Amino acid sequence: MSPDRPHYPTTLAGQFRRHAGAYALGAILLAVQQTLMLGRDWLFKTGVDAASKDQSTEAVRAAAIAIGVIAVAAVVRVLSRVVMFNGGRAVEYEMRAELLARLHQLGPSFFRKIPTGDILSRATNDLAQVRLLLGFGVLNVVNTVFALASALTLMLGVSVRLTFAALASGPVLMLLTRWFSKQMFQRTRENQEALGQMSDRVQASLSGVRVVRSLSLEESEIAQFEKASEIYLVKSLRLAQIRGTMFPIMGAVSAVGMLTVFWYGGSLVQSGGITRGDFVAFWAALSRLVWPLLALGFVTSIMTRGRAGYERLRTIYEAEPEVVDGPLPAPTLFPGALSVHGLTYRIGKRDVLSDVSFDVPAGGSLAIVGRTGSGKSTLAAMLPRLLPTPRGSVLLDGIDVCDLPLSAVRRAIGYAQQDAFLFSTTVARNVAFALDDPDSDAAHARIEAASAEAQIKTEIEDLPDGFDTVVGERGVQLSGGQRQRVALARSFLWEPSVLVLDDPLSAVDAKTEARILEAIERQANKRTLLLITHRVAAAARCDRIVVLDGGKVVEQGTHAELLRQDGIYAALAEEQRAEGELRELGAGAPIEGVA
Amino acid sequence: MSVRKKPQKPAGPQTRGAKALKAFHEEGEVEKQIDLELLTRLWPFAKPDARYLLVSLGALLVLAALGLARPVLLQRGLDATSTATDHDGLFRAAIALLAVMLIEQVLIFVQAISMQLVGARAMSRLRIHVFRFLHGRRLAFFDTQPIGRLVTRVTNDIDSIGEMFASGALNAVGDLVKLVGIVVMMLALNWKLALIAFIAVPPVGLLVDWVRRRARVAFRQIRDKTARLNSFLAEQVSGMAVVQAYAREDAAQREFDEINVAYRDANYRAIALDAMLDATVEMVSSVCVAAMIWYAGAHAFGDAVTFGTLVAFIAYIEQFFGPIRDLSARYTQIQSSLTGCERIFMLLENTDVDETANPSPKDGDPDLAVELDHVTFGYKPDQPVLRDVSLRVKRGERIALVGATGSGKSTIASLVLRLYECTDGVVRASGKDVTGLGRAELRRQFAVVPQDVFLFPGTVAENIAVGETPDLARVQASLERVGALDLFLRREGGLSAMVTERGNNFSAGERQLLAFARALYREANVLVLDEATASVDSVTEARLTEALERMLEGRTALVIAHRLSTVRAADRIVVLSKGRIVEQGTHEELLAMGGTYARLHALALGRGGDTALLAAGE
Repeated sequence: MSPDRPHYPTTLAGQFRRHAGAYALGAILLAVQQTLMLGRDWLFKTGVDAASKDQSTEAVRAAAIAIGVIAVAAVVRVLSRVVMFNGGRAVEYEMRAELLARLHQLGPSFFRKIPTGDILSRATNDLAQVRLLLGFGVLNVVNTVFALASALTLMLGVSVRLTFAALASGPVLMLLTRWFSKQMFQRTRENQEALGQMSDRVQASLSGVRVVRSLSLEESEIAQFEKASEIYLVKSLRLAQIRGTMFPIMGAVSAVGMLTVFWYGGSLVQSGGITRGDFVAFWAALSRLVWPLLALGFVTSIMTRGRAGYERLRTIYEAEPEVVDGPLPAPTLFPGALSVHGLTYRIGKRDVLSDVSFDVPAGGSLAIVGRTGSGKSTLAAMLPRLLPTPRGSVLLDGIDVCDLPLSAVRRAIGYAQQDAFLFSTTVARNVAFALDDPDSDAAHARIEAASAEAQIKTEIEDLPDGFDTVVGERGVQLSGGQRQRVALARSFLWEPSVLVLDDPLSAVDAKTEARILEAIERQANKRTLLLITHRVAAAARCDRIVVLDGGKVVEQGTHAELLRQDGIYAALAEEQRAEGELRELGAGAPIEGVA
Repeated sequence: MSVRKKPQKPAGPQTRGAKALKAFHEEGEVEKQIDLELLTRLWPFAKPDARYLLVSLGALLVLAALGLARPVLLQRGLDATSTATDHDGLFRAAIALLAVMLIEQVLIFVQAISMQLVGARAMSRLRIHVFRFLHGRRLAFFDTQPIGRLVTRVTNDIDSIGEMFASGALNAVGDLVKLVGIVVMMLALNWKLALIAFIAVPPVGLLVDWVRRRARVAFRQIRDKTARLNSFLAEQVSGMAVVQAYAREDAAQREFDEINVAYRDANYRAIALDAMLDATVEMVSSVCVAAMIWYAGAHAFGDAVTFGTLVAFIAYIEQFFGPIRDLSARYTQIQSSLTGCERIFMLLENTDVDETANPSPKDGDPDLAVELDHVTFGYKPDQPVLRDVSLRVKRGERIALVGATGSGKSTIASLVLRLYECTDGVVRASGKDVTGLGRAELRRQFAVVPQDVFLFPGTVAENIAVGETPDLARVQASLERVGALDLFLRREGGLSAMVTERGNNFSAGERQLLAFARALYREANVLVLDEATASVDSVTEARLTEALERMLEGRTALVIAHRLSTVRAADRIVVLSKGRIVEQGTHEELLAMGGTYARLHALALGRGGDTALLAAGE
């Protein structure tokens, strides 16, 4: 969507090619390091042999050079790790950035298919597997190859038979690691799932504590929790078993190799088949082969998991956005005339909207009234193309919204959804969500003005940190009514050409409602306004009213006209008049006089 | 230990919101010294498995000893090769070595398993203890605690204590013994050679400490940033419509990038530090070997050092620097476990115990299902919500409570269930003072339908039969009675359909019906119902009204009413204002009385059309 954001490859091969330079450099460093280690072993051999033959100078010289070689090898080793592992982290960074960018292009039909928790698990667990594959995996494949080459050069030079004897257990070690690694992964996952289920249990039990108390469910809750905790315990112990078995078994297998060298190599030394220096060097070379062989076992299972993880990520990367930019350039100014023509939308076989048509002149106001499920919220989301609006059905100032760049359409048609979603940041930044510099003085003036207009300013100022109060996840620190008004302030500050408000009064009390209706009327004087509501009192303030039922426009006209028609609108008005009695009882103000 | 402070950003208009956010996101972390008192408080939970702990610690000591013996065997065997005649020496040493290694691996297994067993079981006990503790607090306790924090205590904090066992941090005990042993053995074998190796210890120790300190900062950043990345992404997904509606995709991407970059860079640092640590240990071991060859070369084998001694030293050195590297990491692990420990025990110090039953002489008329006798109550001491309220509900009577938000309607229901204790006066259920009844005994008399239905993880049937194994016949009968059986059977999975994420796979109407069925399933004496205000479509609305009527038929009920139809159908309407009962009677009586209710009724009729819902604005 934005031209200035860097784009990264989202395929494994693409990422590998992109970081090929780093991998090549890493491979060179690893080759150098393994060569130096070969040198070290050879110098050990020379030194020990010289010492055995009482050649002091030679021995000391070999040892001195060895120290130098070891120091350089250590530095090269650090560099090789940094280059290769950083490559893996860079892959993770780029693919994560790309993931959010893709998600931003997708609409509700995608998010209905894949729940939030699932997306998060892909962004963390699966991405980590890909990172391991392209960092740890690549490094260890390359390293094992070089380590084998380097160690075998020395070992075979000492004794072919000793080499075979020492490495006989190598393949077993590799296969065992591979098996253990798979088991570990699987049991770790089961363990995490059990932990997740237990956490859900705690979460539900504590957030529902009032219900638990009211229904006297404490004992059954504790019993349920004990069950969940027991499952987690069992899973933890299963993981502990595999961890506890893996190291001893692998230790035993690699000990077999060392023991072989000790006994067989020792007797070779005794019989004069090999020198003492050969023995020490062989020992050293074998020691540094143990880890690469183990790692190779891990790597084979990392490859499987990395590819499986990538497959799950691919469903996000390759999801086709339903809503994309149109070809026309955005005009500099939208007066805000909106017309909807034959708008039809269906989910599956159900018509959510069918053949909806209406016009709102620039600066006019329109109420869309209907009961829950009449399709009015879907209609509202269609206007700024938050859903896949069919071509030719929504025109803004005579231009099909599908032909315009998305950002231009959304800039022109401001939409405040019914569910007032707030971000876990400060109140000020929530109101100034649309601004790039929410902390500037100019922004602050606008924030205060918009909040005052949405009847929330004084309440915000009464919060512990005023406008700088952090509202918590989804705004939990605020009441439902406060959240709704903060969201309303956010939409006022946006100052679009066309303002679409979806049921902005659902959670506010009567006194505030009256004041908000006045604010909405003031907005209507400044711009085109579409008010989605089921309240007749709110709809009455708009120039025209469209009544939706079952996704169809069933009535259209002014408040007075519709009341005379004796249709759904009039029925709603009658219902609400009756319910209003009770509402008045609740409004409290007159009762105060009595009490 | 010092905590490095981040450089302060220059002051200015930028910092206001940024500072508030920073304080919010970065939970302060105090570094803990190892505190024995905390460990003793943890002990009772591990005590039942003390045997395993002893086994584990014993195994650690034996392992340390075996680790020390191995190089000696190497030395014996190899020195035997120096004489052309002694063939048995090498063979015997090899056999002994084989035995030592086998026993070692078996003991490693036993040690690790028993340690983890102790840890996992102790944590399970602690977890259940904390959970039970929480359910034993009085309800007011939960009004002051964020639920998320309590969940963290029961899950993450306890897991962080468990890590102390699982990660092998306690093996540090064995490491220390082993280090001392190696020092002694090396000195005994050849003290000059030993000193060469020991020269390397102080620089290695300092370096390891230096690297660890930096690594700790990096790891803390990684942890913080991981949490931020996850919550940011979760929020973007849940708030996607808002982000798209305000065309903030690019801005969000930039903000995300800041966290993503910080996360990546912290990882870069951790990678470099980790690599340095590993390379250093490998380097130092190798350098020590070279130094010994140097020494052996300068003095020649035989006089100062035998070949066997050289190999034994190499073997000791292989075992020597690893534990030095790990000690620091293990210390850090224990510290972080103790931080979790401290949080848990701080929570366990809370004294807000839920009230228990006390024998009470204030019993009253057993024919009254519910009675409030001059009750005064406030959530905060100086702000009474109910003032001197007296209300008598006869068996079979249906009472509608009417009043503004904050007039005290819901509070009356809470007091009847003794969720809160009244400050003054007596609340009675079936003539018994509620303070004289056990919690379960009291609450079993009531079936509560709250305004916002809360669903538990589990199936539909389990949610109707909360707290018991569902009796399917009764579940069906309850649903049948509220006229919703067909509705739920039609759904995929029927009565075994799973409830996900607090029931958001059910519509508001379905949740209400489910709550009605739940109340009926309980077969309680008194129904306490807080009528829902959520807007539902007209078909569902009609269905709910009918279900409500069927549910209330012939029952004692206390209804916090929001719908006119509910109010009119009540035997008695109780009008509350500012914590007092201002009027009561039937709809007609109250109208005839010409008081508040009547006046308001007339006002409402005169004013005309407004919305259905009452008591919003919370």
